[in-house]
Amino acid sequence: MNLLQYQPGNSFLHRLNPITKLAAAFLYGAACIISGNLFLVTALIILMILIAATAGLGGRALRLTRNLLILGALMFIIQLFFVRSGDPLLVTGGFVWVTTGGLVSALLLSLRVVAAMLPLMLLFAITEISDLCGALVKKLHVPYRYAFIVTTAFRFVPLFTSEFHDIEDAQRARGVEYDTRNIVKKVQLVAPLFVPLLTSSLRKVDAGAISAEVRGFNLRTYNSGYQQYPFHLADGAAVVLLVALIVVSAVL
Amino acid sequence: MIQFNECSFRYQGGSHNALDGISLTIEDGAFVGVTGASGAGKSTLTYAVNGLIPHHFSGDFYGSVLVNGLDTVEVKPEELSRFVGEVFQDIDSQMVSSVVEDEILFGMENFGVPHEEIGRRLQQTLSLLGIEELRRRQINSLSGGQKQKVAIAAILAMRPDVILLDEPTGELDPESSVMIFELLKTLNREFHKTVVVVEQKIMLLCSYVDRIILMENGHIAFDGPTAAVAGEADLFRAQGINIPRVTELGEKLTGMGLYHGALPLTLDGGEKMVREVLADA
Repeated sequence: MNLLQYQPGNSFLHRLNPITKLAAAFLYGAACIISGNLFLVTALIILMILIAATAGLGGRALRLTRNLLILGALMFIIQLFFVRSGDPLLVTGGFVWVTTGGLVSALLLSLRVVAAMLPLMLLFAITEISDLCGALVKKLHVPYRYAFIVTTAFRFVPLFTSEFHDIEDAQRARGVEYDTRNIVKKVQLVAPLFVPLLTSSLRKVDAGAISAEVRGFNLRTYNSGYQQYPFHLADGAAVVLLVALIVVSAVL
Repeated sequence: MIQFNECSFRYQGGSHNALDGISLTIEDGAFVGVTGASGAGKSTLTYAVNGLIPHHFSGDFYGSVLVNGLDTVEVKPEELSRFVGEVFQDIDSQMVSSVVEDEILFGMENFGVPHEEIGRRLQQTLSLLGIEELRRRQINSLSGGQKQKVAIAAILAMRPDVILLDEPTGELDPESSVMIFELLKTLNREFHKTVVVVEQKIMLLCSYVDRIILMENGHIAFDGPTAAVAGEADLFRAQGINIPRVTELGEKLTGMGLYHGALPLTLDGGEKMVREVLADA
């Protein structure tokens, strides 16, 4: 399953205003980046997984964490060899490879990456893109044009994927062997498919533009949207808690 | 009312006129079928009505098209879409939202329908099409017939007088195709909408619409009441349009000297004919 896909639900997190969710994800990430405390950052990752679990997304949070840890590990290795402060840890033939300062800062950086990206990625699991864009247009008066571009981009991804598979299948039916294990050969076989994919996509995009145009796309204002996105007490409480979290992580 | 006056259009870079000297009038409340071979200009004809020609597609435009007395050259497509709505050929790419409800809201929101009215219309449109239970569904999870209903609902919610449909059953199975035409009949008979439907399936057209227009290379090869189609069967065959099988059967029976009445176009008419022939035998 797609790790960024919206998961319908009615939990406390789901019911928050989309703007609150977006702000909360950023504030949580900011708290993780501000904090210089390894233990606090680790605790924040665990706390995030627990918060996700209250919305029935514990499993997804764990899988996301695992994937982000792979990214974190890469950054850890790079950082480890480039930061040279503190006492030498690994020395061969008089050349200092790793220092204590490097180890701590590499560990902190990789955990920060995980901790800051996790809430942003979980945001998509509890917020429908159209709601997020709708609320941004309605409350923050973001131009509808931009919101439309974002929702359309998200909507077209599965369409393009299925289009691509259709073209691939059509070629396969004519005897093209895409199942080769040879990467170079596979790229050579797949690359020519992008031309028909691009032309058919452009045709689809044009048809979509026409359809939007004759339904009054150009007449739309920020207040056109029918869906209301009211702020509730819970939204205020969430923001207060997160600001407090930022203060704590700045102090600790 | 839709009025074409000597209308011709050639797409930019095109080698021939996609519309070639079209003159025709479609009265309010009409139920018209447009048929013809691929590339005969059927879709182009619909684009000329909703103003996409000449506003979206560029090319050489001659003559005029009037919709409710408005010249399509002078008013923008979004102005015209207050009167005319079109369900386009490609079901998937005309969708602008991922959720059914949002798709139906889109046009109403843009045209500034008051919010209290929007809720009522949304509910009415959903129940008219019998798709209330699809309201919160993801569009890409629907079947072809369901998607087509959503596309029609999105247009209907804007309350146009004229509904254009470009091959609405092209991607549908026979059962859903009949369902869509039943719906069009309801819209025409009970809600007094003018319905213009481009369709290759002549049997469906003959069973539902009142008037059929056959297009050939941008001009009108036949335009008349549905009942007159049977007498002009060769005209349709020449364009690769299969006339209904019951009409063919009628031709054969007439040729054999067994039947002398008017050629049937629908299954009911066919049944009547066969009963007559059997009674005489």
